[in-house]
Amino acid sequence: MRLRRLVVFSGVFCLVFWSPACRLHAESGDTSPALSAATLYNQGNAYARAGKPGLAVLNYERARLLAPADADIAANLATVRAAAHVAAPTPGGMARLLLSASPNVFAWVGMLGLLLAGFGFVVFVGARRWRGAAAAAIIGGGLGVATCVADVILCWPTLHAAVIITPETPVRVAPAPMSDSLFALHEAEVVRIEAAHEGFWLVRTTADRTGWVAVADLARIVP
Amino acid sequence: MRAVTEQGFRWLAVVLVWGLGCVQWATAAQSVLSAVLTPTQITVGQSSQLTVKTLGAGLEAIVLPTVAGLELRIVEQSHHLEMVHGVSLGTTTTRVSVTPLTAGVYAIPGLTPTAEPLVLRVSVDDTIGKPPPKATTAAAPARPRAGETIHLSADGSAFLRLSLPKREVFVGESVPVEIELGLRPGFVNSLNGLPTLTNADFTLNNLSRQPQRSERVVDGVGFAVLTWHSVVAPVRPGTFTLSVESPITIRQRLRPESEAKLEDQLGDPFMQNIYGKTVKKDIKVASPPVELDVLALPSEGRPATFSGAVGSFRITSELVPDKAAAGDPLSLRMRISGSGNFDRVDSEMLEHLDQWKTYPPKSSFAAGDSVGYQGEKSFEQALIASHAGSQTLPPLSFSFFDPEARRYATVTSTPLQVTITPAAGDPSAPVAISVPDGTSTSGGTPAPGSVAGGPAPTTGGLRPDHAVSGSSVRSLRPLYLQAPFLAGSAVLVLGFAGSAWRVGRVARGAADLQRRRVRRHSAIQRALAAGEAAAQARDSLAFCVAARELIDAQRPLVPDVDGQFANLHGGAVLPPELQELALIVDAQRYASAPPIAVDWSRWLETLRRAAGAREPT
Repeated sequence: MRLRRLVVFSGVFCLVFWSPACRLHAESGDTSPALSAATLYNQGNAYARAGKPGLAVLNYERARLLAPADADIAANLATVRAAAHVAAPTPGGMARLLLSASPNVFAWVGMLGLLLAGFGFVVFVGARRWRGAAAAAIIGGGLGVATCVADVILCWPTLHAAVIITPETPVRVAPAPMSDSLFALHEAEVVRIEAAHEGFWLVRTTADRTGWVAVADLARIVP
Repeated sequence: MRAVTEQGFRWLAVVLVWGLGCVQWATAAQSVLSAVLTPTQITVGQSSQLTVKTLGAGLEAIVLPTVAGLELRIVEQSHHLEMVHGVSLGTTTTRVSVTPLTAGVYAIPGLTPTAEPLVLRVSVDDTIGKPPPKATTAAAPARPRAGETIHLSADGSAFLRLSLPKREVFVGESVPVEIELGLRPGFVNSLNGLPTLTNADFTLNNLSRQPQRSERVVDGVGFAVLTWHSVVAPVRPGTFTLSVESPITIRQRLRPESEAKLEDQLGDPFMQNIYGKTVKKDIKVASPPVELDVLALPSEGRPATFSGAVGSFRITSELVPDKAAAGDPLSLRMRISGSGNFDRVDSEMLEHLDQWKTYPPKSSFAAGDSVGYQGEKSFEQALIASHAGSQTLPPLSFSFFDPEARRYATVTSTPLQVTITPAAGDPSAPVAISVPDGTSTSGGTPAPGSVAGGPAPTTGGLRPDHAVSGSSVRSLRPLYLQAPFLAGSAVLVLGFAGSAWRVGRVARGAADLQRRRVRRHSAIQRALAAGEAAAQARDSLAFCVAARELIDAQRPLVPDVDGQFANLHGGAVLPPELQELALIVDAQRYASAPPIAVDWSRWLETLRRAAGAREPT
């Protein structure tokens, strides 16, 4: 009896909490344009045709965040990178598996896992008869949460990555326009942002070199 | 008495002066036979001709009036002898060129025989035939703005004022300004040029060709005020003082100002000219200097496409038409609207585009105000698609410096979709698309979803565009990093933790109660067995001890025996014989009372009933 009441209470709690939260989020005055994988992919194609590989790679990378399994995006991304003579980062096997779905999918998997584990834990504590099923639910939910956390860890570099959008971008020794240039980055190259200072970003390249790049010369994959 | 006499003479002098003036004015008016102004409606840059026919043979018969904003110049004078009814009359025809300096409605008084002023309407090119602007016809005197002082020229005949909306600007930024030139009627002979800046570090752009005309009273003296709206732009950084100056010709009185109050009171320029000796003098009236801080544009974060535009701009684009055949020209239009220095708004649009032939763009500007500070600049570029298919033109972008935000900004238009059909009579349309059954066909628009399944054919090394459909998001940031999602997860965790703690507490309490009930049941059973054995042995003391143990078995739950009984039986009190038994037992055990006669069967029954009643359910 108590268990039934608990389940009903939890369900009502989720409904009551999530529906206003989702509505508030939808009505929060977000006027940014709607983004879809197709839109970003087409935009990347347009930039590629216009001879702007940096912006093309940027849009392909963004499209890939929304549709990681899309073969066209991967193919055009590889084509543009090859044309720009820029090496593509190669994720490992586990990373490939986790990057096969959108981060939002993993977010919902994590949320479902959290719900499942939470219900299981409450049942495990409160009802001795259902302890086996509750333990299974806790393990299953925990796996979902762990999958989500793993995706966060794997996506973390992408969330802090940026694409060079201007040709032969100078990488400077200090965040100042007149400082010495260490080396130059090719357009469409992907770098990792580590710090920011007055219009400059401290970046780390795939070759593990660091330096300061003007903000106008690169664009974050996840703005 | 003497003071009264002097005052009377003064009044007499005033009346005489007034009377003489009227006589001369009447005489002069009567000497003019006709005055014709042709044309009466002209545009700025043109001149009208005023033909005045007077009696007599000298120029002294005509006195040209002074009208602010009009330049009157005698260009021709001819003498004629006419016979009228046998009487010879000498007439003089004077042709006067009337050139307006600015647009507006001017009244030239004092020339016609009927004293009606001649009216000349001056407009800009596009306003001929239209009613003059409200500001020109409005006769309501303008009031000086609060907190602003007006500095008159040394002789008090004019003032010039420069209004700036802010004191800190960036290099190249267009700042709207207002220039007011006040001219005192009768004291200013002519306006010899438009106001100019005194500082070469600024440019004054687009002086409006049609200044507003109004009247204003300054220190009790009326002024005709010409107002220009324009923009200034600094050309280099630093701290500068800025002012404007304007050349005018004034009539300078020869008499001391203290003796010229009468002429001031008369107010009429002709009367002043007649009774107050003046000489013409060219002066420059200047505005009080305004201090300006000009900041340099920052070099950090300057976009590569920055062309020097400073202001606030928006961008839109369109492609006309959105469907065409391969080889047909399309027009790509980009509109940049807002406020700022539109002369520096520039764009190359699309310089190179695969499968498209592009042409250099043309631009045009439509001003939203009289000075070109606000408006819309349009760029139009011709494009010709060489291949058929559904294509997306890349978004156009424009970079500028936003002086309010003090940073560079780049606005981007949305990508444009266009469908290019194969040209008529061109069987070799190069676009191939896949269909769901795996076959391929040529031409047309890609079917939705046709490119997601397998390896689609490539176009120029790239796979074709996707049909835009399906779900979309507002942010690329994953859900698990968005605040509402994290907050929801946190609340869920807290909710489940709280529920688990509550449920665990209830479960532990139930288990404890169960354990205590079992222990009590065992103790009661033991005491009952001992009591039955004592009853069988007729051992009243042992029976009392057993009964006491049975009663004590209840004490861990509730200390009060009566209350305990009441609780166990839902509020009912146990039979009185059991209470009596408890009292007897206590007396036997603690007071060493002598054994009593016992009704063993009744007591045993009472003990059993009590034990049965106390058994846990």
